[in-house]
Amino acid sequence: MIARALTVFLKEARDALRDRRTALMVLAASVIAGPLILVLMAQFVSGLEDRALTRKVRMAGAEHAPALVNFLSRADVEIEKAPPDYAERVKAGSLDAVIVVPADFHERWLAHEEARVELVYDDSRTESSPAIRQSERLLDAFNRETAFLRLLARGVSPSLNKTVKVERVNTATPRQRGAAILMIIPMFAIMATVLGGMTVAIDATAGERERGSLEPLLANPVSTLAFALGKWLAAWASAALVAAVTLAGFVLAAELYAERKLPSLLQFGVPEYARYLAVLVPLAALTAALEMLISTYGRSYREAQTYVSYLSTVVAFVPLVVMFSGGREAAWQAWVPVLGQLVALQRILRGDGLSAFDALVPAAIAMALALAAVAAVARLLRDERIVFGRS
Amino acid sequence: MIAAEGLGKRFGEVEAVREVSFAAGDGRVTGLLGPNGAGKTTTLRMISTLLVPSAGTVRVDGIDAAREPLAVRARIGALSDARGLYARLTARENIAYYGELRGMARRGIEESTARLAELLELGPLLDRRTDGFSQGERMKVAIARALVHDPPNVILDEPTNGLDVMTTRSLREAVRRLREAGKCVLFSSHVMQEVAALCDEIVIVSRGTVTATGTLDAIRAAAGCEDLEDAFVRLTGAATQEP
Repeated sequence: MIARALTVFLKEARDALRDRRTALMVLAASVIAGPLILVLMAQFVSGLEDRALTRKVRMAGAEHAPALVNFLSRADVEIEKAPPDYAERVKAGSLDAVIVVPADFHERWLAHEEARVELVYDDSRTESSPAIRQSERLLDAFNRETAFLRLLARGVSPSLNKTVKVERVNTATPRQRGAAILMIIPMFAIMATVLGGMTVAIDATAGERERGSLEPLLANPVSTLAFALGKWLAAWASAALVAAVTLAGFVLAAELYAERKLPSLLQFGVPEYARYLAVLVPLAALTAALEMLISTYGRSYREAQTYVSYLSTVVAFVPLVVMFSGGREAAWQAWVPVLGQLVALQRILRGDGLSAFDALVPAAIAMALALAAVAAVARLLRDERIVFGRS
Repeated sequence: MIAAEGLGKRFGEVEAVREVSFAAGDGRVTGLLGPNGAGKTTTLRMISTLLVPSAGTVRVDGIDAAREPLAVRARIGALSDARGLYARLTARENIAYYGELRGMARRGIEESTARLAELLELGPLLDRRTDGFSQGERMKVAIARALVHDPPNVILDEPTNGLDVMTTRSLREAVRRLREAGKCVLFSSHVMQEVAALCDEIVIVSRGTVTATGTLDAIRAAAGCEDLEDAFVRLTGAATQEP
């Protein structure tokens, strides 16, 4: 039976490789989509920076820095007192950035010693970055003004330009910064497995029926399970391949294009790519099998395409639910197909460790469901109503 | 050797075939003759094990189709009602796929393809993709594909449907050669001339059941007509008047 399944696989693979629709899908996914998405993300980021800001900073210990407060008031900036648990709040995301002034600031500043302030932030959330930049810019401006006035008062040319040293305390690890933007890559990778297997899955089931080649095919002394297996392997290979090519496009585009605009993207390199494939290949097995199962009910290629588009809508919906519900990661998510993969992909990008549980449970569930779907397809191919239409 | 015994098939409320019995011997061409919708295709699908009969049995070379469908399939080459090819594959690849599915070695497939190309005059078409083929060319490839494993039993469901005169003639010649090779050929058609010209034994099917069986002469004698067409009309007409 394995030999027959292999025969079916090889035929379907050859057929698909000669199909222009498959070629177009791969081309669209890899050559166009990767760079396009990167450009859009770069635009998104610069859009955030350009956005009009409410001129407001949060400070802890403002009473220790009357000069800074004076400067900020003159710059028309509203000062808000930071709550005592600002560090936790920044980490949790309810505060963007806090300027922390130590008690000895004013004395040191008056003494023309190096006066220290802390800027506390977490820029793994893209929405925080405008507030962070704003605080940085204001502190810089205060620094320049002070230096300028002091040099002027001494009649010295303004070569001494650092009176205030800004120490940054970023609670995010460097990798988490890029990941905030890169939530799009997991979503894109998951959709690639859905779109990549579609043409082959439909063509091998509903397409076969529409062409009138299903009936003679089933007259061969081969079990329907062998047919279902072979066709599934071809659809799976196609889905996995499209996902691999798409992500390779991302890696390449990140290398070539994003260096200037999105340095964080450079962390989507070869090791991440390999881990991504380890998560996506089992997922591709599931999406391909489900697409086949759905398409087997379709009487024509078009009809099946419509059914499969419902599936891709559902899959596309899962990442959106996670994105907008702002939900935390939970252990149960690993058990839900697509959601489990999404969580794993996000963790890979964030540079968080991927435990065996996180990696293997979604893969095992995807494979088990895929095999169940293949068995269901084999059963349907023995059903007279499916093979000969609903007469 | 194909033997049907009391075959019946129901699709829900509709009884498409009932009490169909006949035997098709080796080295003979047996024609299943009947108007459209008489149940010919359903009968042939049951013989090629694609449909499970609601009643009766099918035996192919003595093997019960209900018990060992895969063994029966291995002994049959069937041109079914649906005869789609893979348009992106060449004629040769279409034929080879079926050979591989039947477990043939590459060499055997090559030899068989050469033999069938000669029989069906396929030579110049073999290495072209089938998407530009005419209906007759497609039919020939579909037949070659069905016969790649040199089966002892050949089922052809309306093989001349939609073909021009020249292709029909060459197809008839091919059927005669299959008979000479000792095959059991079961052939369905709604065209009387075709059946008269080709078949050793005729089974007339009307409204899902057999109304007459025998040689051309026997059929004419049974209906009391010289002309097969008259006999056909009488035999099928008689069936329509039954309650």
